Amino acid sequence: MTDVTVPEDLWDANKTPEGIVANWFYSDGAEVPEGATLAELMVEKSSFDIAAPAAGTLRIVVPKDGTVRPGSVIARLESG
Amino acid sequence: MSSNRQLTVSRAMAEAIALEMRTDPSVFVMGEDIGTYGGIFGATAGLLDEFGEERVRDTPISETGFIGAGVGAAMAGMRPIVELMFVDFFGVCMDSIYNLAAKNTYFSGGNCKVPMVIMTATGGGYSDAGQHSQTLHATFAHLPGMKVVAPSNAYDAKGLMAAAIRDDSPVVFMFHKGLQGLAWMASPEEAATAVPEEAYTLPFGEARVVRAGKDVTLVTLSMMVHRAMDAARALEKDGIDAEVIDLRSLVPLDRETILQSVAKTGRLVVVDEDYRSYGLTAEVIASVVEKDPGLLKAPPQRLAVPDVPIPYSRPMEQFVLPNAETIAAATRITLGKAG
Repeated sequence: MTDVTVPEDLWDANKTPEGIVANWFYSDGAEVPEGATLAELMVEKSSFDIAAPAAGTLRIVVPKDGTVRPGSVIARLESG
Repeated sequence: MSSNRQLTVSRAMAEAIALEMRTDPSVFVMGEDIGTYGGIFGATAGLLDEFGEERVRDTPISETGFIGAGVGAAMAGMRPIVELMFVDFFGVCMDSIYNLAAKNTYFSGGNCKVPMVIMTATGGGYSDAGQHSQTLHATFAHLPGMKVVAPSNAYDAKGLMAAAIRDDSPVVFMFHKGLQGLAWMASPEEAATAVPEEAYTLPFGEARVVRAGKDVTLVTLSMMVHRAMDAARALEKDGIDAEVIDLRSLVPLDRETILQSVAKTGRLVVVDEDYRSYGLTAEVIASVVEKDPGLLKAPPQRLAVPDVPIPYSRPMEQFVLPNAETIAAATRITLGKAG
């Protein structure tokens, strides 16, 4: 099991505390390869892609339009 | 291969362009904010990083200049993709589009090809007013010499973009802003689809039956496919079985699929986000009745913007755009079930 975590330094949380998950590019339960672009976050008007840190079965924790902060776990990857 | 990816339309377009650029050095992209910014509707995101400034060129705000340059580059052997940021801006550069790009193959007796893609953002629904919200489908489809496509989803967008780049004629690729899957603009869930990672093309002039039905034919394209599908789901609850056809391209127009469907259902509703008069809706209806007026059991219905500029006011804009409720109401009229 690997957490998919929003990097702590992705944006300055003192200026903008929260962002949202704008898009998931795989469905919950999908098999994803390591490095695949999993999700797009939007923080104010900037968007950031989140890549899969490992291969595995995607378990989405924060759904589309859900709020995230630096350090948030947005999904887990279960290994086969 | 990750064919279980759910790509947005904007990412599917950028991926199609990147795949063609990797295999064909004559393909390049030009336009306003298509480089560093990645296109204001995301259609060129990531291309500058991979291909550099020589092949991904930010231009000054002069559509006349860079679309004219695109025509010249195409005739000189390149395959340019130029982005007209909003289709509404065509006014300043239309001579390059319809008098040069569209006609030079003909004028040269086929000695010059113009393998150029003009991609442009269309559509409203987000309060951007009358100079940033039009679709202008018919304006381009009316003029000979250009192919015109307007996809409704990511799978089609990728395949049609690849086909457009490889085509030796100018192709106007009209993408609806509200389908792009941008973080800052809501889009219908079904616009993002599974998209294969490898390159593939879709043929122009092949409509897709999105939903098979026996009672009535709804013909549309682009954003209105999603509105028509919402209408079809609502009608299903009343026992009405609507067939929904996504034209995907305006030129060439797949009249055969429309005729086959109307021959089955006998009833026709055409939906377009463009202006009503002299447009796609009339063309589709004429295509049916000039073939066989006896196919229709009831007068056809058409929904489009009622020949007024797109209003800025949100309630007024929503009033002039076709939606699931107005499509369902028009469908009930063709079935004699109004009111």
